[in-house]
Amino acid sequence: MRAFRSTLTIAFSVAACRGAPPSVHADVRDDFGNAVDIGQTRRRIVSLNPTTTEILFAIGAGDRLVGRTQYDIFPDSAKRVTSLGPGIRPNVEAVLGVRPDLVVLYASTDNKPAADRLRQAGIAVVGFKIDRIEQFRRVTRLLGRLTGDSLRADSVVDTVSATLVRVRAATATLPHPTVFVHAWAKPVIAIAGGSFMTELLEIAGGRNIYDSIGAPSATVTLEDVVARNPEYVLANPLEAKRMRETPSWQAVPAVRRGRILVYDTSLVARPSVQLGAAARSLAELLHPGALR
Amino acid sequence: MIRFEDVAVRYAGAANDAVGGVSLEAPRAAITAVVGPNGSGKSTLVRALIRRLPLRRGAIRVDGGDVAGLPRDALARRVAVVTQREELAFPIRVDEYVALGRFPHLGIWHAVAQRDRDALGEAMRMSGVDALAARRVDALSGGEWQRVRLARALAQGGDAVVLDEPTAFLDVAHEMGVFELLSRLARDGKAVLLVSHQLNLVARFADHIVLLHQGCVAAAGSPADVMQAAVLERVYD
Amino acid sequence: MPRARWIVMIALLLVAATVGVAVGTISLTPAEVWNALRGSADAMPTLVVRALRLPRVVLAALIGAALGMSGAALQGTMRNPLAEPYLLGVSGGAAVGAVIATSLGLNPALLPIAAFAGAIAAVLAAFFVAHAAGARGDPRVLLMAGVVVGAFANAAIMVALANAPVNAVRSAVWWMMGSVADASWQQIGILLAYTTVGGSLLLLFGRQIDVLALGEDAAAGLGLDVDRAIRRVFFTASLLAAATVAAAGLIGFVGLVVPHIVRAAGQQRHRSLLAGSALTGATLVVIADLLARVVAPPAELPLGAVTALIGVPFFLVKLRRLA
Repeated sequence: MRAFRSTLTIAFSVAACRGAPPSVHADVRDDFGNAVDIGQTRRRIVSLNPTTTEILFAIGAGDRLVGRTQYDIFPDSAKRVTSLGPGIRPNVEAVLGVRPDLVVLYASTDNKPAADRLRQAGIAVVGFKIDRIEQFRRVTRLLGRLTGDSLRADSVVDTVSATLVRVRAATATLPHPTVFVHAWAKPVIAIAGGSFMTELLEIAGGRNIYDSIGAPSATVTLEDVVARNPEYVLANPLEAKRMRETPSWQAVPAVRRGRILVYDTSLVARPSVQLGAAARSLAELLHPGALR
Repeated sequence: MIRFEDVAVRYAGAANDAVGGVSLEAPRAAITAVVGPNGSGKSTLVRALIRRLPLRRGAIRVDGGDVAGLPRDALARRVAVVTQREELAFPIRVDEYVALGRFPHLGIWHAVAQRDRDALGEAMRMSGVDALAARRVDALSGGEWQRVRLARALAQGGDAVVLDEPTAFLDVAHEMGVFELLSRLARDGKAVLLVSHQLNLVARFADHIVLLHQGCVAAAGSPADVMQAAVLERVYD
Repeated sequence: MPRARWIVMIALLLVAATVGVAVGTISLTPAEVWNALRGSADAMPTLVVRALRLPRVVLAALIGAALGMSGAALQGTMRNPLAEPYLLGVSGGAAVGAVIATSLGLNPALLPIAAFAGAIAAVLAAFFVAHAAGARGDPRVLLMAGVVVGAFANAAIMVALANAPVNAVRSAVWWMMGSVADASWQQIGILLAYTTVGGSLLLLFGRQIDVLALGEDAAAGLGLDVDRAIRRVFFTASLLAAATVAAAGLIGFVGLVVPHIVRAAGQQRHRSLLAGSALTGATLVVIADLLARVVAPPAELPLGAVTALIGVPFFLVKLRRLA
């Protein structure tokens, strides 16, 4: 019996040493549907997306970055990487100019032409759409394998997950107020059920009034928001100020009563390594003091 | 009543004068006809009279007063002009159309007074179109349309009527009708100034004829003087 | 015009306005609407009616009135049944102003001012170009000048949008499609001032437009200073159109179609044609806004998209009449 158990332990620890489940190279695809070659370790990486840039720094691959978008400013050391312009419809020539061996893109239809051209030039391209927290976990692990350090990637994922679990537990027994998550004013766009922000909100002890819509965002009308009568409105600082100054938004009772929660855009706006801190900040807004 | 004194007009961008020093007079109680081939400057004179073209030289006078110095509505109250063509983009009723002739008489609020309504009725009767009052102008025959246009000129009142080719597109019977109406107006004391290419009827009805050739007066006088083969051949070759 | 027709037009407008206030994401009965207006209903219907629906409907009505009158005046003056209020480059100029304002990331409250400034600049540019060409009041020259200015404006818009960030492009495009969703009482006050002044002037010019409709030579023969009259009508009509664009973006086809409807109902004299176009235009835009709100919930269609759809049956009917 003891021999069996020790064999099992050895078997598991060997597997754990390898840092990844056994069935590896087979069928890993990116969000464009293309196969990802995990065989080689990448040394010159261009990341055209604030989320993946931040992840790469967190998993220790920051020094391998040779290009980023102009909007990738987290963490601070990212600013030292060469900026190659926009992330949507990127400048392919500028990307080629830094001779990468891997390009990480946001997997939108707008970016498909650029991805195809880079692939034709012989560069490995992966496209990721990170809308939900689970996608963040998957992409982090994948980037870990592409850069040859899966352990570090796993620990990043585990740390974030642990924080999220703690925050959820702290707010689980509290009442979950309804919240309208404001994304855009003209037209009125709401963050909806398919977005990580809705997940964060739920973890932090709130409920998105549009969580029944599966897409990450939805175009709605002011009247619809009034009809759903959220207890709070969550917005970034600029939009919060504009909402307070626009007469038609006063029709929303939460706005009239001043129940606008302003989130920290440096934390909450992207589904990246700060997700735990983001959840904590939202919980602090909705349920002050609950996390102590 | 209407006098052109050495009038010269040149269209923008043209090499030559369209009208180069024309002098003529259209007195009251007479029909004065301006004739000549196409391009001789007949219509240009009319457009100069209504101040649509600037004068290079000379002056146009109405009862001695320079036209350029008269307020436009005052001029319109004295002289009624019927231009060569009119195309209404939006067809209106005949009585509405004739009523527009009273425009120079309306005050700033454009309110219609009894004397405007009287003038309207009188004009339509004289021109013989009172039966057509409710018809739309695009539902009229060529002859009816011309008479309606005349009615508008009559409604405008004034001492002079200037007409540019009033019988174009009309058949002979209607042409006679129009000239007979013009004679009546002259008999009633109006100055009638007429531009026409209809030489036969002009010869018969006009009191004075002015023959234009390439913007200048080639001959002027009574029909007997002007309507001679030798004179006409020089101009209409 | 027979009094009965006026009563019908006014009644249609009132019915459309009532339905417009009552119907939407939350539908109310006329009784609830009445209570909400008087402030004696529950909080939510009162809020929706007073803060959201009523301003929209009033703004929509004002826009329709202004555009209807502008279109009627221009069609008569140009003697062209296809003339419309955005003729002198108003839409292009306003769009340039709005796109520049969004690209620079300015406070959205400044957008209407930028749009209005752009529209007026375009109109003045058109007059200037026409003047430089030597014909100050000729409507055909003014029209061509407007086309030139409009072409320039379109090029400028494309350049500005090509280099703008994605969000600015979305804002600009949404603005260009027209909407009364952000109606505020302040905006309504400003548009009311312009519509009252501009509309009154056009009504005053009504008889002059009747005369202009005969043709320039005939109008001159009737004692009208043709060039000056055309300039005045063009400028006033364009001012009205610019004010609507500043308030709600580009809302096409209203100024084109409404005068035809009113003419078909028997209006000939421009004074009544203008007044009838104001009423009918108001009704049309109120209905269009209602459709924009109820056709594809929970989102709302841009108002300009709905009015553009009006153009289709209109041109089909005209085409059949020609053939």
